[in-house]
Amino acid sequence: MTPVALARAPWPDPYLNVDDYDPEADLMVINLGPQHPSTHGVFRVVLYLDGEIIIKAIPHPGYLHRGVEKLCEKLTYAQITPIVDKNDYVAPMLNEQAVNMAFEKMLGVEVPLRARYMRTILAEIQRVASHLLWLGTFAMDLGGALGGGTSVFMYCFRERESILNLFEDLTGCRFHYNTHTVGGQRHDIPAGWAAKVHQTLEAISQRIPEYETMLEHPIFVRRTKGVGVIDADLALELGLTGPLLRASGVDHDLRRDAPYHIYDQLKDLAVAVESEGDCMARYKVRVKELRESIRIARMLIDNVPEGPISGGRPIKQPGQFKAKGGQVYVGIETPRGELGTYLIAGGGKMGDTPYRLKIRPPSLHALACVPYVFPGHSLSDAVAILGSLDPIMGEVDR
Amino acid sequence: MSESENNTRELAFRRLLRAQFGVEGEPEAPLPDDGPLVAREHHKALAKALQAAGWRLYVTCAATHFPAVPGKKPTDATTPECFEVATVLRSVGPGTHVARWRVKLAADETIDSLVRVFVGADWQEREQFDLVGVIFAGHPDLRRLMMPEDWVGHPLRRDYAIDTPHAPWR
Repeated sequence: MTPVALARAPWPDPYLNVDDYDPEADLMVINLGPQHPSTHGVFRVVLYLDGEIIIKAIPHPGYLHRGVEKLCEKLTYAQITPIVDKNDYVAPMLNEQAVNMAFEKMLGVEVPLRARYMRTILAEIQRVASHLLWLGTFAMDLGGALGGGTSVFMYCFRERESILNLFEDLTGCRFHYNTHTVGGQRHDIPAGWAAKVHQTLEAISQRIPEYETMLEHPIFVRRTKGVGVIDADLALELGLTGPLLRASGVDHDLRRDAPYHIYDQLKDLAVAVESEGDCMARYKVRVKELRESIRIARMLIDNVPEGPISGGRPIKQPGQFKAKGGQVYVGIETPRGELGTYLIAGGGKMGDTPYRLKIRPPSLHALACVPYVFPGHSLSDAVAILGSLDPIMGEVDR
Repeated sequence: MSESENNTRELAFRRLLRAQFGVEGEPEAPLPDDGPLVAREHHKALAKALQAAGWRLYVTCAATHFPAVPGKKPTDATTPECFEVATVLRSVGPGTHVARWRVKLAADETIDSLVRVFVGADWQEREQFDLVGVIFAGHPDLRRLMMPEDWVGHPLRRDYAIDTPHAPWR
C-alpha cells in the first residue's frame, strides 16, 4: 500500500516521504535498538537525520510479542493471573487487578471490603516502586553525569528493593506475585506488615527531596525543559493516558474520575497536573504522584477492615467459574496510564475461558507518539523523550 | 457531581446513536450490556460525531473473529464466518464516560479506518489487522505491527491453532 501523507498541522507528518525532503540535505539513517539501553527493552526505531536533527522516525515494536492474548483464550479465568503478571513487569500488581476486575464484572463476583482495601494499598505501593524505577532509569538516560554518575539510579533501585521486600513478605514472590484472584486476594496481610510499610514508605518519602536536589540542576533542566512537547489535542487523539496526559495539561485520572476499589472514599485524592507537556512536566507529575501514593498507602494501611479476603469460593478445580457470555470493558489507572481489558466471554460450553481478551496497554499508545514528537529534535533529545515516556516493552508487545 | 456528569453523557450517547446512527429503541432507553451494534457505514461518522461531542480520548479497538459454525442438525444452515470490531472512546475529566460500540463484518467486508479522526487508531488498527486480519479501509500504512512481516496467517483468529507449526526462524 502506498503511504499517503497524513497532514494534520501542526504535528509532523509520520508518513513523510524522505525523497521529497530537501535534495541538498545530507540525510543519514540511524537504527536505534532493538538492543540499546535507552530503549528500555527491545524497541527499534529507525531515525532519518538531517545533520543532528531528526526529520522522521519509524518505530518497530513487536520484538517481545509472546501472544499473551492468544494464550489467555486457552486458559480458564482462574489461570490467567500469573500470565498477565509478565506484561507490565514493572507493575505486575496492576496487571493482575486489571484482568481480575474484568472477570469479576463478567462473572458477577463480589470483592469483599478488606480485599478492596488491600488492592488499593498494593496498587499505590506498586506505583511508588514503578515511578522509582522510572526516575532512576530516566536519570541514567540523560547521561551518567547527572546526580554524580549512576547515583540516582542506584539510590532509586535501593528504595525499590525495599518495596520488593514488602511484597515478598506478603506474597512470597519478589516480582510475579500471583496474589490476586477472581473475587479477592490469595494472601492475607501478615502480622507486623503495616509497621514495615510505614517504615519503608517513610524512608522513601524522606529521600525524595534528596533526589530532587541531585537532579534539578541546570544540565537536567536544559535537557528536559521544552523538549518533547506533546500538546493536549495530540495526547488525547493518540490515547495517551496517565502521567503523559496529565503532563500535557489534561486533568484526568481514573482513580478520581471513574473510581474503583475504594478510591471513591478518598475525597482528597490530589491529581498532579502540569501544563507544559515537555519532559520536565512529565518528571514533575511523576514525582508528585510518588508523594501522593505514599500518602494514600500510609493513610489506608492503618484502616484496613477485618473480614474475608476473597469473595470467590476456594478454587478446587479449573473451570470453576462459568461465564454466561457477553462483553465488558474495564480500565484502571496504572503508573503508565489506563490499562484496559476488553473481555468477550463465550457462554455455555465456552464459558470456562475468555473467547477474546484484548489488553489495552498504556505504553503502546505512549510509543505511538514517537513519530509525532521526535522530528525536530536532536538524537540525544530523542533518548530523553523516550525515557520520559516510560515505555515497558513487555506490555507494548504482549 | 461526577456521577450526574456521567449520566448526562450516557443519555447523550444513547440519543446520538438512536437519532443519527440507526440503533433501534427509544431515544433514552438503556443500551445492550454488550455495547450497541452499529452498521459499518456509520462507523467513521459516529467516531467523528462523538469526538465533536466531547469523547476526545481514543481508548482502544478490539477485533474478534467468529468462525463459521455448522448447524446443529444437518438440515440447519451454517452460520457464516464473521468479524466484530469494538471501538472504545472516553470523555475526560471527572465523571469520565466510556462510549463503546460494535460493528459486525462479513468475512469479505472491510471497515473504515479511524486514523483521520484519531491518530491513535493508527497502531491499534495495524495490530488488529496483524493479529485478526480485519482490513481497515483508508489506513495509510496497514502493515503488521507485532508479527514478522513475512508471517503467514493471523494468530488471533479462532481457527488458528495455538500449536500451528511455523517455518524455522530466519
